[in-house]
Amino acid sequence: MATNQGTGEWYGTDEAVSRVRGQAFKTLCLGATLLALLAVFVLLLYVANDAFRPLSADIGWLLSFAATVVLPVLAAVGYYYTRDTKAGETATIALGLPVICLLLAGGVFITFEHIVSVYQWLSILVSLGIAAAIVAAHNRVRADADLERFAVIVGVPALLLWYVPDVILSLPVLPTQSLALLGSFAVPIALATGWFVRRQRESDRDGAIAAAVTIVGAAAGLGVAPVVGLSPFVWMLLVTITGVPVGLYVESVFRRGAGVSGLAFPVLVGGGILMGVVITNALGFTGPNPWLDWGFLTSSPSRTPEDAGFYPPLVGSVMMLLVIVVSAFPVGVGAAIYLEEYAPKRGLLGRVVDLIEVNIGNLAGVPSVVYGVLGLALFIRWGGLGSGTALVGGFTIGLLILPIVIISSQEAIRAVPDSMRQASYGMGATKWQTTRNVVLPEALPGIMTGNILAMGRAIGETAPLLIIGAPAVVRIAPASFTNKFSAMPRQIYTWSSEIDVAFRHGVLAAGVVTLLVVLLLMNGAAIIIRNKYQRRD
Amino acid sequence: MTHDSMTDSDSGTDTQATDGGRESLASNDLEGSDPTTEPLVDSSIDVDGRSDAPASADRTVIESNDLDVYYDDVQALQSIDIEIPAEKVTAIIGPSGCGKSTFLRCINRMNDLVDAARIDGELLFEGKNVYDDDVDPVVLRRKIGMVFQAPNPFPKSIYDNVAYGLEVQGIEGDYDEIVEEALRRAALWDEVKDQLDSSGLDLSGGQQQRLCIARAIAPDPDVILMDEPASALDPVATSKIEDLIEDLAEEYTVIIVTHNMQQAARISDKTAVFLTGGELVEFDDTNKIFENPEHDRVEDYITGKFG
Amino acid sequence: MSERSIDVDLTRTSSGQVVKERIYKWLLFGCAALTVFVTASIIVTLAADALTFFSMVSPVEFFTGTEWFVRGDGGTYGVWPLVTATLIITVVSAIVSVPTGVAAAVYLSEYASDRMRSVLKPALEVLAGIPTVVYGYLALVYLTPALQWVGIPVSTFNLLSASIMVGIMIIPMVSSLSEDAMSSVPDSLRQAGYGMGATKYEVSTGIVIPAAVSGIFSSFILALSRAIGETMIVVMAAGLRPRMFNFANPLDNLLSSGQPMTAGMVNAVTSDATGGSATYLSMFALGLTLFTITFAMNLASDYVAARYQEEYQ
Repeated sequence: MATNQGTGEWYGTDEAVSRVRGQAFKTLCLGATLLALLAVFVLLLYVANDAFRPLSADIGWLLSFAATVVLPVLAAVGYYYTRDTKAGETATIALGLPVICLLLAGGVFITFEHIVSVYQWLSILVSLGIAAAIVAAHNRVRADADLERFAVIVGVPALLLWYVPDVILSLPVLPTQSLALLGSFAVPIALATGWFVRRQRESDRDGAIAAAVTIVGAAAGLGVAPVVGLSPFVWMLLVTITGVPVGLYVESVFRRGAGVSGLAFPVLVGGGILMGVVITNALGFTGPNPWLDWGFLTSSPSRTPEDAGFYPPLVGSVMMLLVIVVSAFPVGVGAAIYLEEYAPKRGLLGRVVDLIEVNIGNLAGVPSVVYGVLGLALFIRWGGLGSGTALVGGFTIGLLILPIVIISSQEAIRAVPDSMRQASYGMGATKWQTTRNVVLPEALPGIMTGNILAMGRAIGETAPLLIIGAPAVVRIAPASFTNKFSAMPRQIYTWSSEIDVAFRHGVLAAGVVTLLVVLLLMNGAAIIIRNKYQRRD
Repeated sequence: MTHDSMTDSDSGTDTQATDGGRESLASNDLEGSDPTTEPLVDSSIDVDGRSDAPASADRTVIESNDLDVYYDDVQALQSIDIEIPAEKVTAIIGPSGCGKSTFLRCINRMNDLVDAARIDGELLFEGKNVYDDDVDPVVLRRKIGMVFQAPNPFPKSIYDNVAYGLEVQGIEGDYDEIVEEALRRAALWDEVKDQLDSSGLDLSGGQQQRLCIARAIAPDPDVILMDEPASALDPVATSKIEDLIEDLAEEYTVIIVTHNMQQAARISDKTAVFLTGGELVEFDDTNKIFENPEHDRVEDYITGKFG
Repeated sequence: MSERSIDVDLTRTSSGQVVKERIYKWLLFGCAALTVFVTASIIVTLAADALTFFSMVSPVEFFTGTEWFVRGDGGTYGVWPLVTATLIITVVSAIVSVPTGVAAAVYLSEYASDRMRSVLKPALEVLAGIPTVVYGYLALVYLTPALQWVGIPVSTFNLLSASIMVGIMIIPMVSSLSEDAMSSVPDSLRQAGYGMGATKYEVSTGIVIPAAVSGIFSSFILALSRAIGETMIVVMAAGLRPRMFNFANPLDNLLSSGQPMTAGMVNAVTSDATGGSATYLSMFALGLTLFTITFAMNLASDYVAARYQEEYQ
């Protein structure tokens, strides 16, 4: 008894109290974490409800789709989660990759439709081809003239790009649009695919097969596409941008043999939707009347909510992103390379570099509206560019995301092991050779991940667009970078000041969901890239 | 490139040098990175009969006069004078933190990559001070190849790894032939000839290190520096590397840093002993050092009494 | 390897390559230096036009005035109504975000299992990636009616709804920066605590949080600077009518509309004011004020964070 009492004493009787307090604290902390997530999640459910209006459908319609899509998907998710997490990973990518690729295909379609015509693209490609040939020839003839070659590499393409495209465009006979696309877009992608497969599989034959299949698949569109009801143009984009990556992924899953059952997931989802459509048509159930539908994505803004669409802002956002990709990304990555590879740590220049680093950190914290004022002053009032154009919008938001691009690229470059740099320097490589051949290829996936996330930030920025005078409503998609443009968030802001409740709870929700889906897919793409390349280490 | 990242990869010993850390040989061995190291080496160690030729007949390739190296305010090397002969294996031994890696990295100016490093005195390569203003370290490194402590192949194919030096140095010629020749010399050709397109990272540790040696000799340098090339390898792989080093000495000047005294005794013709504080205490024929060193401190170190 | 030349040439033969290397180096340096140019041009452009503004409106009137009234190109420009609105937004959003963010950071760094963390952290990252125009829309269309439904008599545009949303928006920022600070507290400190017989609660609140306090503090400063500069949420949900702080009935300030500084800038440029007028130029004066405040806060945060990093390195 005495010992029992003794144990009881040192076990402590007030133990329970401190445990309750600890539990309460833990629950409080968990609650706080979930609070923010749940609050936004619930609000987003409301938004989705407003955008899709599922309750406007027949109850029979909802039940059929619940039976054909929701139940099988839940069952599959349960199976993957408990039994086969490897297949679950495959399932996520197998479903996500086609969707991301479709988004990309949409972006490229808009680019060819409104920004660079297929013929312009073809002429640019031809000019660059000629330039490459001249540079290569110069390399042969004057192998030792390093400096001269540098001038040639910079000068010749610039000169050719200035003159040759116009010459080509003015040719009396041009191939049809589809043929031009086949030659200038499908063929390069087929070559890239072949090169990629050849490297991956170390087999010339496999590479050739992959390239040939791509070409044949794209060319088949000339005959098949009209039968299916698509234009050959759209067919080719779908084959090259969606078909090729998905095909490569499916093939790699089969080859590795791990998680193959995950490939059933997208089939399950697609088949379920198809079956749902067949059943509801047969039984005569009417579906919901969502605000976010094909018509919304492809028509122009309008005063009547039912006709309002999102197409011109979509085109505007794509144009703005193109400007950013061409302007801010090279500068940001260049700055990151300098700071990580070249910057001295000591001396006068070392102190300048310290200043630059501190400055970049602070620029990341400058309010976006201030960047808007900077863009207004710098590009419009001093630079003389037109207010509210895609060019100014891209430059301004490019400046805004520049610190983010630099910081994330720096992290990616810093993650390259130093032993590789040493090996390269030890071989007598110069700094630039080391950077180009060793550091950049290793850091590229990380840099791309960071840049895609920065694009996500750019696509949602609104305040700078207001300041640089992007118009409230643009009814036709801008024809060039120097036309007035609107972007997705700018249009959302315009709709938010409409009084009509159909705008507030309908059109606006549809626009927000579109913007969020685009963002989510971009983040998804970044995560896929990150995971794919992290696993190798 | 930052200072921190420089020191944490290959030059672990140098880091300690900057701290002025004194470590006994015993504790050094306890770190146990090299399974072939024995706790004590007795003085009757068996030396190969490689160094029969009189040393005085050799041509000097590398010569240092009163070389001092500082990391910030800490002196890592003190007034080093040494003459390293051509086409011989010269071993540099000493306890951790004695500056032996620092000296090696001075020869091809890899220390330039450390901002904190400062060098006084002169270091002559073929009679030319490599720290003269008109010397380009990149050109210097093209004449002096280097193999690092941990195998560090590039994440490229085996072929591209070996051809890397040829490409960056702009060497003309039949790359297929040069790559094959380098791989043969590194005793790796038979193992990898069917998988030249696969990644260099897929090889085992010992194979990776031989790949790094092949990479270093492909552009045909004059001198090969090796910074504890076998310390991360198992005994079998180590003995392969040691055989390889002996073969290489027929055509190249090899300078190897090691903290494994038996390894130095087995493969080198000349041995330099650095002791704590960054001084070169003795430099002589290998069998002289191991059988009858002049300095008591060297003898204490060789026999494991060093404290 | 066959013939040995006694005198080697270690100097660079191809001068082209040297020049090429140098061009690359300076090109890349130019990219990095561009960021300094960006800061400089922010300061110069804001200051230049702000000076023009102050030649029309006296700085004394601007910095001490309690009425901001803009009609067309003219009006009264006293900055205090905008500053007080900004302060209200900052304080209320801090009340929402600081306790929640720190509690979330404690949970993520001390309690969460790996699996839980692998779900919660990306979810918070997604939250941080939602564009502010979406948050503004949520506040205007869903939160404000919800507050009215609960029985809080807010007007259609009000500061309360806007500042709650700003608070939710900066929670991920507070939690991720604070968690970084807590994770970098060395494990030996925690183990010392456990070794003394402390419970997990006591270790978290008594050891980890005090040890990470300067990192947590620096995350507050950054988050508040973000709240001060937030534009779209306040433009959409707080309204565009400037209103001086009502000292008689402080609660009323939350329930009715207001115009923070960022909203004032947007209003100046989207209104009908012509370029060069005082209204239009007031945007630059407000921008300069805003930039100065946020820049100083970012520097302060850097300073605090640098001090805490020294403690454990």
